[in-house]
Amino acid sequence: MTLSKLSLRNAKRQAGDYLVYFVTVVMAAGLLYSFNGLAFSQEVQELSEKMDTLPIIIVLASIAVVCVFGWLVSYATGFMLSRRSRELGTYILIGLTNQQVARLFFLENLSVGGAALALGLVLGGFLYQFLRAILFAMFGLPYHFSLAFSVPAAGLTLFYFALIYLHALRKSRKRIQRMKIYDLIYFEKQNEGMIIQKGNSRRLVFAVSLVLGMAGTVLLMFGELMTGIIGSGCLIAALFGYFLSFASGVPAFFDKYPAQKYRGQNLLIFRTLSAKLSTMGIIMAIISMIFTATIITEGSGLMFNGLFRGRSAENACFDLYFAIEGEDQDPSPYLDYIAEYIPVEQSVLYQVYLTDSPTVRDYIESQTVYYYYNYEQDPILRWSDYAALRSIAGYPTVEPEPGRYLIHCMTYLEEPLRNYDQPITLGSITLSPGSVCTERLSQSFGVANGRGYILVVPDEAVDGLAVHHLAYAAKTSQPVPAAQYDALTDIAATEYNKQENPANYALVSTKANEDAQVAVQTAIFVFPLFYLALALTMTAATILTIQQLSETERYRRQFVLLRKLGMARKEMAQALSRQFAVYYVMPAVPPVLIAAPIIFHLTRVPEPGVMVGMSSPLVIVAISLGLFFLIYSIYILLAYTSLKRNVLPQ
Amino acid sequence: MLQVQNIEKYYGSKNNVTCALNRVSFDVEAKEFLAIMGASGSGKTTLLNCISTIDSISAGKILLDGVNIADLSEEELAGFRRKRLGFVFQDFNLLDTLTIEENIGLALSLNHTNPKTVQNLVQDVAQKLGITDILSRFPYQVSGGQKQRAACARAMVAGQSLLLADEPTGALDSKASKNLLEIMSAMNQDMGATIIMVTHDAYSASYAKRVLFLKDGRVFNELLRGERGRPVFYHEILDVLAALGGDVSDVI
Repeated sequence: MTLSKLSLRNAKRQAGDYLVYFVTVVMAAGLLYSFNGLAFSQEVQELSEKMDTLPIIIVLASIAVVCVFGWLVSYATGFMLSRRSRELGTYILIGLTNQQVARLFFLENLSVGGAALALGLVLGGFLYQFLRAILFAMFGLPYHFSLAFSVPAAGLTLFYFALIYLHALRKSRKRIQRMKIYDLIYFEKQNEGMIIQKGNSRRLVFAVSLVLGMAGTVLLMFGELMTGIIGSGCLIAALFGYFLSFASGVPAFFDKYPAQKYRGQNLLIFRTLSAKLSTMGIIMAIISMIFTATIITEGSGLMFNGLFRGRSAENACFDLYFAIEGEDQDPSPYLDYIAEYIPVEQSVLYQVYLTDSPTVRDYIESQTVYYYYNYEQDPILRWSDYAALRSIAGYPTVEPEPGRYLIHCMTYLEEPLRNYDQPITLGSITLSPGSVCTERLSQSFGVANGRGYILVVPDEAVDGLAVHHLAYAAKTSQPVPAAQYDALTDIAATEYNKQENPANYALVSTKANEDAQVAVQTAIFVFPLFYLALALTMTAATILTIQQLSETERYRRQFVLLRKLGMARKEMAQALSRQFAVYYVMPAVPPVLIAAPIIFHLTRVPEPGVMVGMSSPLVIVAISLGLFFLIYSIYILLAYTSLKRNVLPQ
Repeated sequence: MLQVQNIEKYYGSKNNVTCALNRVSFDVEAKEFLAIMGASGSGKTTLLNCISTIDSISAGKILLDGVNIADLSEEELAGFRRKRLGFVFQDFNLLDTLTIEENIGLALSLNHTNPKTVQNLVQDVAQKLGITDILSRFPYQVSGGQKQRAACARAMVAGQSLLLADEPTGALDSKASKNLLEIMSAMNQDMGATIIMVTHDAYSASYAKRVLFLKDGRVFNELLRGERGRPVFYHEILDVLAALGGDVSDVI
């Protein structure tokens, strides 16, 4: 049998033994190809001129992803080498040279990698279509399925794969060439000797890591930057200390409470776990850190997504909007352009006034976090203008309430403003509080319908009030094209520069432009973050699963013995699932404790009123954890079903 | 205590049936030490597996204290193995993630023994088998003989009444084998354990009170030790093995 035939046969067997790993590598190739596809796609770049930064961002994210997958392949290759050391030792024993064995190992891993790459390119073709469909939907364009093979994307994927595999195999090759037959044949025995290590220092580390873990969590809860940094440091130290010393912590605990050891299935569950941890403590700590990074990355992605959408949704309630700061402004350059180029169905030109004193604002500030940027007094809108704005935005009409003023605000201010019961006096008219409405009404700009809130009063009540800005809102027959938006912003710039002492700025906003901006920002910031998060989760979960499935034979022997000792099948299934649960839950608990407060803190950074509804802090924390556990549980399920089928006696 | 009545065991598919046990019958009294001998493939281990309920029989009955074990459900069988049977295997079958103490205590833990009493029970049995000084060690840290004594301790710690040993000396050197067999004899004589030991080693079998010889799945002969000394019994066993017709070297 030639070396290449032997390599091929081993490669096939290896793919069977490490199916989960193989599937992950296929997925890795698919992910890399699909994102490369986006980077190289002319069609995608033509979606918006701002998409020209996408290729750079994707290449940067891909470099991070290649590093992550590179680590996975390097770890898994080294792990397989250790597991197969006896077999490789036997090849040397029967006369193959170290170089030949290294070449054998190299060839079979290369064929596994090659097969994964080929399958990954096919999968990547579909993944690319999926990403393309999402992008088109975000830009509001019709999507048509068209399976195309991108040669540059495939070429770059091949280059990444070559880097990943050559790095891993170079390391293995060096290791094999240095190894002696004895080391290879007795490698497993060396491992066995390391199963449990005792020592007072480890117990001390265990105790200190628990204290550090608790202290770190408490420090993070303060939400301050400095305490947060110290807290995170404590938690990272705790993570390593905890996993490195857990193996001796369990025996120490059992020594102290021997009765606990023999209670239920404790002995089997925790001894198996501590044996596993004693050989993979550092890996567990790294996996835990990867999980932390994953959840934070997912949370950041969701936070950016919520931020972009939240801001845009508030601003995109009118098809077309412009405003010019100051009194007695001339809107004719804008209106002339609109009249000539943009078909308008309905519009309103109006002014936003100011009260004499900011009583409502002062009240809001006393109740909640509020940034009053650009409004020194409470903003005022006339009933008739408000009614027109509601009609343009497509909201139901609101009946005027004589003698009362209405408050229109963003949802986050609704609760305090509903409780506001003070009348306002405008000149000689005193109005008592009326309804509170919360539809989106473009309330986050400096020259918008107030900053977070506006008071709507009878038309006659605004006589004599100062004007804050002039505004125009319209419903157009079609979305305003980018070229016309640009023309309007050019007018704004020209008008601004015409001023002797430029002070009053103007703003133009269109729904189409806001939507396009969200799509671009999502593609540039959110896509790469999820790309990275997916790569991180898959890598860490695969390593855990490889480790677990490599113990199949040990588990099988354990359950054969337990059956002979009289353990019922039901009890065995219970013991296996508990062993499993503890093994997979352990590295996931610290990340949840660390990442949840960090994401919570992150989502509270943007201005108030943006992160609401599905983007509110708690919902983002919940979705981040949900997404993480969804992918994680797929791996757990795969490993559990495989192990249950192979180790439990029928 | 144990009645094996006309049991048969067939393996394989319709067109290729192998008869592993063919109408095997014998009784085992309480506190007896029975050895089952035979060449490779004679059905010794199959017989032991059927008695231990790990394998099912094709025909016949196995009664333990009058109860037909074929009538028991899977759960009752597990309970039966837990409470009544103790196992000693050729390759020790100790879990390498547990200490010797924990390996012995595992049998009690499976039996839902009060966790507080487990350590004392383990200490007692370890003292009887002379392994108290290795209790805190892991299997890879002790010798084969010590591992096998630990397996014996596990097989009797929960008060099991029937000890089943499958080639217990197979992986031991002659000194450790002798030591183990003396311990098993003591377990039988002093502690009242009933032992069924499968072996192809005449020396090991000579420690039993009775030897059953299997050939091609059938009971070929039976030898009682009676009042004879062990060396004499050993030679008688060798004579029977010679009469078995096979090469004596197959079974020594």
